[in-house]
Amino acid sequence: MRVSFQEELDQLEASLQEEGSLVLRVLRGALNALEHRDVELADEVIAFDDDVDVLYLQIEAGIQSLLARQTPVATDLRLVLAMLHINLHLERMADYAVTIAKMTKLVADVEADPPLLQSLQEMGERAEEMIRVALDSFADRDLEQAESLVELDELIDRSNRRFVERVIELVAEPDVREWVLRMVLVSRTLERIGDHAVDIGEQVAYLLTAEFREFTDASHPEEHV
Amino acid sequence: MAPTMRPVDVTAPRESAPQTRETVFDIKDLKASYGSNVAVRSVDMEIYRNLVTAVIGPSGCGKSTFIRCLNRMNDEVPGFRQDGKILYHGIDLYGDGVDQIEVRRRIGMVFQRPNPFPKSIYDNVAWAPRILGLRKNLDERVEKALRGAALWDEVKDRLKKSALALSGGQQQRLCIARAIAIEPEVLLLDEPASALDPIATASIEELMHDLKTDYTLVIVTHNMQQAARVADRTAFFSLDVDESGRGAGTLVEYDDTGKLFTAPSDKRTEDYVTGRFG
Repeated sequence: MRVSFQEELDQLEASLQEEGSLVLRVLRGALNALEHRDVELADEVIAFDDDVDVLYLQIEAGIQSLLARQTPVATDLRLVLAMLHINLHLERMADYAVTIAKMTKLVADVEADPPLLQSLQEMGERAEEMIRVALDSFADRDLEQAESLVELDELIDRSNRRFVERVIELVAEPDVREWVLRMVLVSRTLERIGDHAVDIGEQVAYLLTAEFREFTDASHPEEHV
Repeated sequence: MAPTMRPVDVTAPRESAPQTRETVFDIKDLKASYGSNVAVRSVDMEIYRNLVTAVIGPSGCGKSTFIRCLNRMNDEVPGFRQDGKILYHGIDLYGDGVDQIEVRRRIGMVFQRPNPFPKSIYDNVAWAPRILGLRKNLDERVEKALRGAALWDEVKDRLKKSALALSGGQQQRLCIARAIAIEPEVLLLDEPASALDPIATASIEELMHDLKTDYTLVIVTHNMQQAARVADRTAFFSLDVDESGRGAGTLVEYDDTGKLFTAPSDKRTEDYVTGRFG
């Protein structure tokens, strides 16, 4: 039994879960800043992303060192590869939260559309839920839970489409035009966070089944699992 | 990624490996014992032509006994007994009328410690051809074998010098040259690199990759990463203890090497390759 190797694997996985909770914090901060037009909080979110990046790089370095020294195979190899991907997906999610914070600053003094703001908050909550499900499915090695991300993603995709339809109606109204156009990007960003959560679920499925498959394929949407 | 690029399957058999597999050895329910001690039992596997097949497993799992059965190397061991069948191209290796010398001519063997004869480099390689009466074009035969073993350039100017003056890695390649000088079909290698330094090991591994174009190779190794590097197929042997507490080696899993090291089917294989056994 390679005790130190197992400890390193456990440590890396714990760091990844920690990165996941940082991502949830940074996303919650971005959503609150957006709702309350809180520029100060938006700046904190942008600065907080550095903490995520530091952890991301630490995990990346840990995986590199593990691969170089321990030549993991079988389940260990799949776990290391899955962690490499999950690390990247989490880091991208934090970047998206930064995008939301930046958009929030740009529209701080512009009139908003309350129903659309409400639907962004709902999408935000769905995105948070998806991150939690993705992290839990990884921690619990739960294939069913990982696969359930596809349905959650469908909900967030639908919200995004409805959002864009409403924007098309509102874009002629000069008072809210700037706000809704900038918020198209926020809506898209939340939809992308959902996609990354699904990608994490795919990595969990790979870890458990040794076969990589895309849960959904954008170019063959009829072939959903 | 450019649209013309296709994804690469790194675990796929290399190009030199044939697409259709031809069975060289068909092993059926093999059991090998020394006196009342069963060394290995219940082995069923097919070994395919022009592939490198690795046998891995912990000490005492019978992997060396197994590979020695493939060219009747255990015949002289007192108390040795073999049950089950080993078919070589459909012929029972242990059947009546099978000539042991002919078996070893077709199925060569290289051992853990390089064991050159205390003769010249040339005479080491020429030894078996001479015994078998293959005296015609002997110089060409020796050169071809030394080239095949990737040793020619290093020794061509000192063929008459003693083989014992060669380095360990060179001596092992000389033993490979000696084995292939009589153009066998199969090369059995029992821990061929375990007594060598990393550079000599790398050259032996590279050589194995080249040799499989012409030969079928079976290698026993306790170095799992070596199996992962050189073998197309890998067999994992383990020690199986029965109700009476007596242990014997047995074949646990046999599959394409890429599969065995990324997604083994058997928990015992998983535990062994990830270092979690015991």
